[in-house]
Amino acid sequence: MTSLWRQHILPFSLLLGLLAVGTIAGDYLLHRLNLVWVGRYLGIPGTILIIVSLIYSLRKRKYISSGQPKSLLIFHEFSAWLGSLLVLIHAGIHFNAILPWLATTAMGVNVVSGLVGKLLLDRARRHVQGEREQFQLNGLSRTAVEHAVFWDAVTLDAMTQWRKVHIPIFIVFVVLALGHIISIFLFWGWS
Amino acid sequence: MSPILKIIIAANLIVLTILVFVYPQLMVSPGKLIPGHIQLETDCFACHASFRGVDSERCISCHKPAEIGRLMTTGQPITKLKPLTPFHQQLIKQDCIACHSDHAGVKRISLHGHFKHDLLKIETRGQCQNCHKPPTDSLHQKIDGNCSQCHTPEHWVPTNFDHKTFFVLEGDHNTRCVTCHVRNDYSRYTCYGCHEHTQDNIRHEHIEEGIRNFDNCVECHRSGSEHDIRDGDGKRNGEEDD
Repeated sequence: MTSLWRQHILPFSLLLGLLAVGTIAGDYLLHRLNLVWVGRYLGIPGTILIIVSLIYSLRKRKYISSGQPKSLLIFHEFSAWLGSLLVLIHAGIHFNAILPWLATTAMGVNVVSGLVGKLLLDRARRHVQGEREQFQLNGLSRTAVEHAVFWDAVTLDAMTQWRKVHIPIFIVFVVLALGHIISIFLFWGWS
Repeated sequence: MSPILKIIIAANLIVLTILVFVYPQLMVSPGKLIPGHIQLETDCFACHASFRGVDSERCISCHKPAEIGRLMTTGQPITKLKPLTPFHQQLIKQDCIACHSDHAGVKRISLHGHFKHDLLKIETRGQCQNCHKPPTDSLHQKIDGNCSQCHTPEHWVPTNFDHKTFFVLEGDHNTRCVTCHVRNDYSRYTCYGCHEHTQDNIRHEHIEEGIRNFDNCVECHRSGSEHDIRDGDGKRNGEEDD
């Protein structure tokens, strides 16, 4: 239990909590230092970091062949997390247009699903499998085993769905973010 | 990814795209427009030029510079003038967005929103009182113009001017500025503007004390007190170096 908490739930909560705290702290600092205008431009490095993090996805799907998958995965996680933090600060706590907020929500779901996949899913799968084996060793019938692990299996299934959400919600995020970026280029005066 | 999921995602995105074009004011607009522009809410290109941002030419098509501050866009005269004098006619160029922002969300984060005095014609820049109400405190009541000697166009307040650092205005010296600053020229002063100090009696008193350099009075006298006399280094008489 201690191991489950320390190795999985704590880092999951920590990374997610840090994202929330970092966003609020960043937004507060920008307001406090009268640098709110800087937040407007943080969307650019945030987006670049998220795009760069996709090198891992390309490597995983064999579109590129160079690079250590494990190192690229670590870079993917770090870069996407940091990029998301910058985009969240960029969004601020200001609710204006719906489109960028839908994009931000999609990005948030994407981050959570990524963290679930990274930190919780594998452990939960092994936990449920271990339970099944233990019950089978105790001589329970197949039906009785499935009955005993029913709620754990349902939870695992829900977490698997989170993992499955990662790619579709990423596509939604890309399209919405693209819509936001195009609207900015279309209407904003950069000079 | 299952084909059904792909279809659901595509359908949702198509609906969102349609909503962007039907309700741009909700989907992409960074906040509400000012009340006067509410009828333009669904027509982004009434003010924006594609990929160039807000186009001043489009502003001017409704807000004619010659009429700004005098007539409303409906042609009716403006009765409540704010500021006191129309000044858009005195601008060197029409760069509306340099000072104005319209969407509520942009106003909040805008670097702009403050009038830039650099946009005024040079001959107009010094006529502060045309737009700014002169302060009514006793010091400013004695001053006529020349605001820029203490204030800057970037920050009207605070001004770091403190007359005490030059001379304490107390007793008989708490008088009209022009007594010492002839023609309200605050870059110069004279101590011979009153009956008390004449060139002859000042000269006589200083020569008597063996002082021959007495052209710059405030070098030694920072107040009217005869006990507060400093040497040329700004130290009070009797003060020693550490």
